[in-house]
Amino acid sequence: MRKGLLLLLVLIVGVLSVSAQEELPDFIQHSECSVDLTGETVTVYHFGDISGSYAFITQPLLAGLTDAAAYFNARGGVCGATIASDNRDTGGDLAQTQAAYDAYSSLDPKPDLILLYASGDAELLRDQLAEDEIPALISAGSVPGLYGEDGASPGWIYATNPLYADQFGSFCRYIGANPDMYPSPTVGYISWPGAFGEAAFNEQTISYCAAQGVTVLPTPEYFLPSATDISGNVLNLTDAGANILYTNSLASGPALVAATLVQLGMQDTVRLAGVNWALDTSVALLGQRTQREGDGLPSVNGLIGSLPFLWWSETDQPGIALITEQADANERPITARNIAYLLGWAVVDTYIEMYIQTVNRVGSLDAVNGAEIQATLDAMVYTPLGLYTQDYASGAIRATSGNRMAMIAYLNADGTGLATSAADAMLVPGADGAQFFVPILVPLEEFSAAPDLRPGGADVP
Amino acid sequence: MSANIRPSGVFDVKYAQDISLNRTTSDRWIANGLFVLLLLIPLFTIEGPFGINLIPQLWIGTIVRISIFVIAVQGLNILIGYTGQISLGHAAFMAVGAYSSAIFAREFGMSFWVALPLSAIFTGIVGLIFGLPSLRVKGFYLAMATLAAQFIIPWLLRYPLEGLTNGSRPIEVPIPELFGISFAHENAMYYIVIPLTVFMMLAARNILRTRIGRAFISVRDNDLAAELLGINVFSYKLQAFFLSSLYAGVAGCLLAFEANSLTLDSFLLDRSIETLAMLVIGGAGFPLGPLFGVAFVNLLSQNIIPAVIPWFNSIIPTLFPFINTVNVFAALNPLLFGGSLMLFLIAAPRGIAHRWEIFKISWKLRPFSQTR
Repeated sequence: MRKGLLLLLVLIVGVLSVSAQEELPDFIQHSECSVDLTGETVTVYHFGDISGSYAFITQPLLAGLTDAAAYFNARGGVCGATIASDNRDTGGDLAQTQAAYDAYSSLDPKPDLILLYASGDAELLRDQLAEDEIPALISAGSVPGLYGEDGASPGWIYATNPLYADQFGSFCRYIGANPDMYPSPTVGYISWPGAFGEAAFNEQTISYCAAQGVTVLPTPEYFLPSATDISGNVLNLTDAGANILYTNSLASGPALVAATLVQLGMQDTVRLAGVNWALDTSVALLGQRTQREGDGLPSVNGLIGSLPFLWWSETDQPGIALITEQADANERPITARNIAYLLGWAVVDTYIEMYIQTVNRVGSLDAVNGAEIQATLDAMVYTPLGLYTQDYASGAIRATSGNRMAMIAYLNADGTGLATSAADAMLVPGADGAQFFVPILVPLEEFSAAPDLRPGGADVP
Repeated sequence: MSANIRPSGVFDVKYAQDISLNRTTSDRWIANGLFVLLLLIPLFTIEGPFGINLIPQLWIGTIVRISIFVIAVQGLNILIGYTGQISLGHAAFMAVGAYSSAIFAREFGMSFWVALPLSAIFTGIVGLIFGLPSLRVKGFYLAMATLAAQFIIPWLLRYPLEGLTNGSRPIEVPIPELFGISFAHENAMYYIVIPLTVFMMLAARNILRTRIGRAFISVRDNDLAAELLGINVFSYKLQAFFLSSLYAGVAGCLLAFEANSLTLDSFLLDRSIETLAMLVIGGAGFPLGPLFGVAFVNLLSQNIIPAVIPWFNSIIPTLFPFINTVNVFAALNPLLFGGSLMLFLIAAPRGIAHRWEIFKISWKLRPFSQTR
């Protein structure tokens, strides 16, 4: 009798839990699970600079990972397995990066996959990841990090955005194709020193740009993330003839270059462009500290750059609509609604599909390891939440190639178009009572394959 | 010297005994035993030859990193602890060792075994150059002069030598090999780093027993008196700079080959300050000081703080709701590091090694030791 009651209770709980589990929307098409992983855990291991100069993008990344994991866990996780995350802050210190890697790589069993994002971390750990056979996902990367110094040795790190060099190539292709908007383009490269900041400036990109009719000044200028006055760097480039500045920095980097151009009275004679991170919400918000002469709009208004994924304003896309709805539900502030938050969602969706495919192939979660995940990554063609398509061409390449150029702008007062001046811009109150312009990104072209500018790449002249 | 105190009835009968590294048989057995035990550690990790998970694999990387910095800080100990010459450019000398060894290996195809001593000597010579101001200045002014190394050397590596060093970008460093055996795995690298660290530690301790070591100490204690006694103060200061930089060069070389990657960001001013703090915490002037200091700082910042962060993250929202928990690491790491440094300067200004000496003496003299 008691056994019967207990069985009935278990049945009721089971039915309730199944009925309580919500369904995924139709546009998310994961592979069918052939193995039930209920009761198990899939962990997203991640370490990086959460509190240093990358904090503007990494804190929203963690928010995205957390919200996405909660959303997908409520809808079955990975074939019933719960998605968990294990994060460690390195503060941007390479010694801490090494210590974090040692801590994770010495787990038993080793992580099947690690999530990174700093190019410097990727270059530091490239050989160690290969030695330990642990694949890593990174948002975008440098040629040495993904392909080694020779540019021809694909490693264990996979980027979900095009290489920084390829993004620079996309930019040159765009301005070369629009001579009416960018006459006699001469580009000065201004960025942060280091693996990330210098990733786009190399022989291949310079010669590719030249082939597109774009001159790149041979001497780049670098400034530290802590710099507050870079007028000397900017003047060096403009004196050498630059009428466009390209920056491979993020958050305060592009905002500082834009502010300097305004302060030097060059806002109308020198255009500003940058890598995908230069289009981030953080740049659009930090850029409001300095207003342009004349129209009074933020200094970064009109900044162009790579946008190799869908953006928040593309709400007709179901993936963006879903993420927006969840960000609203989780009361994420505007500072969190950036590129990294979107990528956090995409990464979790990628993890789910990757684990389903791998477990289906190997039979159980215990049999999954780094080598099996790499095999899945190489073969998998997937579009997480519709944001971008990752296709590593059967293991031949290590970064996605789809890219397009876009521009930072601000909404007008009635929200129907772009503001032409501060007077007709939409302003919203911030937490401290200050008024904020509402940034949007305007795609300037359709998605197309970024040029392949690895050493010996298909598009290197 | 406090370490000379021994129990009644234990005394030296020969000069060789008086200057020996291990004065008693038991000391010798303990030292040799510890060394053997240290060498056995990788065998009992999951990635060891037997696959036994007796010792966490994490220990290997931690011990290797601590050992490399022990060599670096031992170099600083020779300069500051033995000779009394301050240096704020130690990380720059490590960079010289790291980059010169990488260049020797990459550009000239030298094996690690040749690149290591060559880069060490080269770094020693560079250190010698930056030690020249010690002829005219000392104390605060010498600190400023050595600080110049911390700015000049990275600048040279970043810009004029960019073709060789890749500037601010990381460069790959070849994996050490010996008779076809690769040292790519950290368990294998362990067998390069540990014996070398023990050798360098013994060498540093040995220096104290030589004419050079005694000259160093006399320069440190009173350079005017030393000069009056016929000691060539300038020559010995330069020798201290050479030896200190040589140690930094060895550490830099090991750091580069251990990670198989090298970037200038690892050798900036904060690293110089950190090595100095390690020496202060460990105990300047004591051969074991660097070991204690490096172990304390490394374990604190790379193991203990990251381990307590989740606990802090769980209690902070309740206690201090205005603090963003994702920034706790950024706050806690410098806070505890700086706090520890202040604590040692106030409570144990001679460092952990001095406390260790007191403990050893108390142990040897028990039950007659006066414990305080």
